[in-house]
Amino acid sequence: MQHYFKKIRVFVALFFMLAFIIAFSDIKGTLPSWYYNSFLYLQFVPSVLKFITPGHILAVGFIIVLLFTLAGGRVYCSTICPLGTLQDMVIFLRRRFSPKSRLRFKKALTVMRYSVLSITIVSLLFSGMFALVLLDPYANFSRIGTHILQPAILWVNNLLARTVPETGLHVFEYRPFHVASFTISAGMLMLVFIMSVFRGRLYCNSICPVGTLLGLVSKLSFYKIQIEPASCTKCGKCQAVCKANCINIKTLEVDSSRCVACYNCIPACNDSSIGYIFSGKKILKLNEPASDKRRRLFIATIAGYLASKTLPLKASGKPGGNRVDKGFYERGTVSPPGSQSIEHLHERCISCHMCISACPTKVLQPTFLEYGFTGMMMPKMDYSVHFCNFDCTVCGEVCPTGAITRLTKDEKTVTQIGKVVFQKEICIVETDGTACGSCSEHCPTQAVKMVPYKNGLTIPHTDVSICIGCGACEYACPVTHPHKAIFVVANARHEKAQKPQAEKIEHVETDEFPF
Amino acid sequence: MKRRDFLKKSIGATVASGTFLSLGGMNSAFGAGGFFAAPVDLVAVKGGGPEVMFDRAIAELGGMKAFVKAGQTVLVKPNIGWDAAPERAANTNPLLVGKIVEHCKNAGAKRVIVFDNTCDEWTRCYKNSGIEAAVKSAGGEMVTGKDEKMYREVTVPKGKVLKTTKVHQAYLDSDVIINVPVMKNHGGATMTLSMKNLMGVVWDRGFWHRNDLHQCIADFATFKKPTLNVIDAFNVMKRNGPRGVSVDDVVNMKYLILTPDMVAADTAAVKVFGIEPSAVKHIGLAEQLGVGTTKLDNLNIKRITI
Repeated sequence: MQHYFKKIRVFVALFFMLAFIIAFSDIKGTLPSWYYNSFLYLQFVPSVLKFITPGHILAVGFIIVLLFTLAGGRVYCSTICPLGTLQDMVIFLRRRFSPKSRLRFKKALTVMRYSVLSITIVSLLFSGMFALVLLDPYANFSRIGTHILQPAILWVNNLLARTVPETGLHVFEYRPFHVASFTISAGMLMLVFIMSVFRGRLYCNSICPVGTLLGLVSKLSFYKIQIEPASCTKCGKCQAVCKANCINIKTLEVDSSRCVACYNCIPACNDSSIGYIFSGKKILKLNEPASDKRRRLFIATIAGYLASKTLPLKASGKPGGNRVDKGFYERGTVSPPGSQSIEHLHERCISCHMCISACPTKVLQPTFLEYGFTGMMMPKMDYSVHFCNFDCTVCGEVCPTGAITRLTKDEKTVTQIGKVVFQKEICIVETDGTACGSCSEHCPTQAVKMVPYKNGLTIPHTDVSICIGCGACEYACPVTHPHKAIFVVANARHEKAQKPQAEKIEHVETDEFPF
Repeated sequence: MKRRDFLKKSIGATVASGTFLSLGGMNSAFGAGGFFAAPVDLVAVKGGGPEVMFDRAIAELGGMKAFVKAGQTVLVKPNIGWDAAPERAANTNPLLVGKIVEHCKNAGAKRVIVFDNTCDEWTRCYKNSGIEAAVKSAGGEMVTGKDEKMYREVTVPKGKVLKTTKVHQAYLDSDVIINVPVMKNHGGATMTLSMKNLMGVVWDRGFWHRNDLHQCIADFATFKKPTLNVIDAFNVMKRNGPRGVSVDDVVNMKYLILTPDMVAADTAAVKVFGIEPSAVKHIGLAEQLGVGTTKLDNLNIKRITI
């Protein structure tokens, strides 16, 4: 029976991997929100963050993962975690290229993995999400998908669209290249690639904070992968296929804190001597129970994290709207609708870039230092790339952490993320005396409205009360020097805009043609 | 005036052979005051649905076969600028666009291409305007207007301000162009009609806005004139254009105007809208450049009430 476990594991892992690949391939933005919500539901860190965001009591994916871990160890790491599956794919290919290579038992990097976990927890308390942003396996994979996989898919799509019109494909624009995000994604891909080629799941057992945390939990699990010494012939076949390097064939011990429950060892054993064995069952050399010291660390981990959520966090986003001097505005950085405030982003966002990947207009771009160093790579609105589509609520629908809360269309269209500022002195209508109206043309609420001006011209007039800060006016403004004549100043904390009011138009039908 | 010559010839041939192939042909010949009168220059229809009005109007001009020959490639250029539902009238009516594509296919067109260089994100505009579905079910094909590689630099010899601009290959390469604007109020250009609609076939609209919008609109109208202009004034955005805020901005006027002359089309439409043509500066500028005429009295206009 247990011989099938590996096949099931591979199937589930590929299922989740395929779900990710489909999401990154959706360049036309046709996937419904339930798609993202379902396959991201079990991602551990996003689920924890969403659960502690008010109104997301049903985001219990992480509890399900913990229950699985208590039942049978780190199954998350070999099925749901996309970075884990990516490493498994590398390991699989490596074995194809050099089939004679064998994996060996290695000592656990105990100091390193608990240090990284501790640093992550401590930094959550004092400097926000930054360590988690860099280390969370899901966030890392999702960034690799957004900045490496998706552009590659787009390149193939565009090549096919141009060369084989019969495919009916259309050419799509590339997202602007973001140096920091690409460098970090590519660097992490390289690191994980090299580690997995030489040492299997080393990343998961030395760096990954989720792996280390689940490793602690799996010490308590009911069923563990163990060796039955009575029937074991010490042939070492299990050890040779153990990606986590956690089977010690000399002592017949399996380090359950490092075992990623990949089940490679089970079919490798000719004598059915390795597999899930109930932890309570007395066998010759039972693993030591979790020591008090470690248990304390584990409890401290959870307690520390939850405490961090109740303490106010320092966020370094700049509030906007302060006029500094002669026409220069401290414009701030506009955060996406649903993110509530830059502070909220700092408390929840792990920069997985799922929103950036799914944003149909590409107005969502990663930051560099706009939100401060610890807010690096979090999403911002970049009105030089595009403007926010009035009816669109995609970013909040795909966000797995609650950093961008889900808005209905009615909520979104009155969520004010920034306010319009018009500088008449540099407007075309004023400087050149010619018609324009590009800003008002794009304004979805007519917060920017063309009103009569000199010589039969019309000039923009703004009404901040109905402005939602979508940036359409700023994007469309043809003025480039010294800067746009109309632009959005960020609301550090989002506000509520009025709904535009309209009276019915009187229409009198006539029988005569007017010419 | 190639189109007019063609129409004269085709009607002449019809008369000579003594067979009236279509009711439309007969109507125009008699309705305009006899066999040898000038052909219809402009058709204005009111009171029906967009498809019904188009069927009547195109018949008056001798049917789509008078414009589209078998095996030709046709560009139908509606306004698909906005991510808005059809009832908002921010985009050309999808029923009308579908009907035109259907007529082109029935006339034997090899390909019927539809696109716009949209303002909102293009896939949403194509989808939510209803135009993509209407075009595909009528046998046409949607192409993107957001691929810069599809645009070629051209010179505009008669342009006063706009000397060169990048134009979409579908506009440059198609044998027949059917321009299908929706009549709307426009905050910057006063009105958006057939000449303004051609802004959707160029790449850099910012240049136009920076360098006298009205003059650029008129300049580009001299470049390559559409074979036929169909102004959709079924649902009309009376204010807050060109995007509009809600359906409250829209009035159901039920008009349709067909003519090969862009200036005449826009002049007639402006009058339907209820303002003077002189209020829309690019109409007068285009007339000065010889694009067409604002003097509707000199034209043979066929007026139909359904």
